[in-house]
Amino acid sequence: MNPTENLVKRLPTDMGGLPAGRVQQTEHELLPWEKRCHALADVLDYHKIINTEEKRRGVEQLGGDMVGALTYYERWIVAFALILFQKALLTPGELAKKMDEVGARHAR
Amino acid sequence: MIISDHHHDHDPGHPKTGDESMPGYYEIMETAVRELLVEKKLIGPGEIRRQIEVLDSRTPALGAKVVARAWVDPEFKARLLANGRAACEEFGISFYDDTQLIALENTDQVHNLIVCTLCSCYPRPVLGLPPDWYKAKPYRARAVKEPRVVLAEFGTDIPENVEIRVSDSTAMVRYLVLPQRPAGTDNFTEEQLAALVTRDAMIGVIKVNLDNRHTP
Repeated sequence: MNPTENLVKRLPTDMGGLPAGRVQQTEHELLPWEKRCHALADVLDYHKIINTEEKRRGVEQLGGDMVGALTYYERWIVAFALILFQKALLTPGELAKKMDEVGARHAR
Repeated sequence: MIISDHHHDHDPGHPKTGDESMPGYYEIMETAVRELLVEKKLIGPGEIRRQIEVLDSRTPALGAKVVARAWVDPEFKARLLANGRAACEEFGISFYDDTQLIALENTDQVHNLIVCTLCSCYPRPVLGLPPDWYKAKPYRARAVKEPRVVLAEFGTDIPENVEIRVSDSTAMVRYLVLPQRPAGTDNFTEEQLAALVTRDAMIGVIKVNLDNRHTP
């Protein structure tokens, strides 16, 4: 078997059947921004801007390192931003500028 | 503790910077994306808030009412098994997405379990948001491979002569387990029955039994 074959056959989010530890029965209340992020996903879906499958694929395309390092809703918001860039609905420059503006509001 | 569905054993939680008034990088990104979409009129200014209200209105109590109705009304149950979404809509539960719902009936011969191996697809219109463990690697990886062992970790022992069917959800097709009505509930009202039905029973990781009872 080619040593890279598994990378092709199994994308980072495709974990069905892999060995893993015990199920830890954890729960947490969503933080307000996480809930807004979830609502944003639904609203983007209603408007046919990003559907569920595009969102799932968007997270997958973040690649193993990012999927591994970011939390659930962190992955979502980054995936949304990248998909919106791909669809030319936002530009990276616009987002960077707006993030500076939002950050500056709180820095005061 | 908060866990997430990835390979590394670290706490991905929500780092506290010490300055609680300063949102983190990803929260700033969320705010920025949302505001840009509103400015560009791609979404309406109140839509996120209204959707949060919708999300808050969805809890496992809705699914529990559906299950209790199916237990007391064989015709409703037949409609639920034929078309889960249509039966829930008839029952007054709106679906705010394009998903279909398939209800899976547990019997003496078959025990059903639902999972989403690729992500976190879940019957949100009827159960609300999934628990963290449903989105985390151990459950997603192992439910399809060794369901009996996973069920045992939830304290659920399924006899060897009962088939376990694991259904893997997708973006378009979601599942809801219709648990078995426990013995000794012949005199229960529909409302009392609904109070026995928990979220985890509708995922299929536990059975409904009289010990599950919670105050309605």
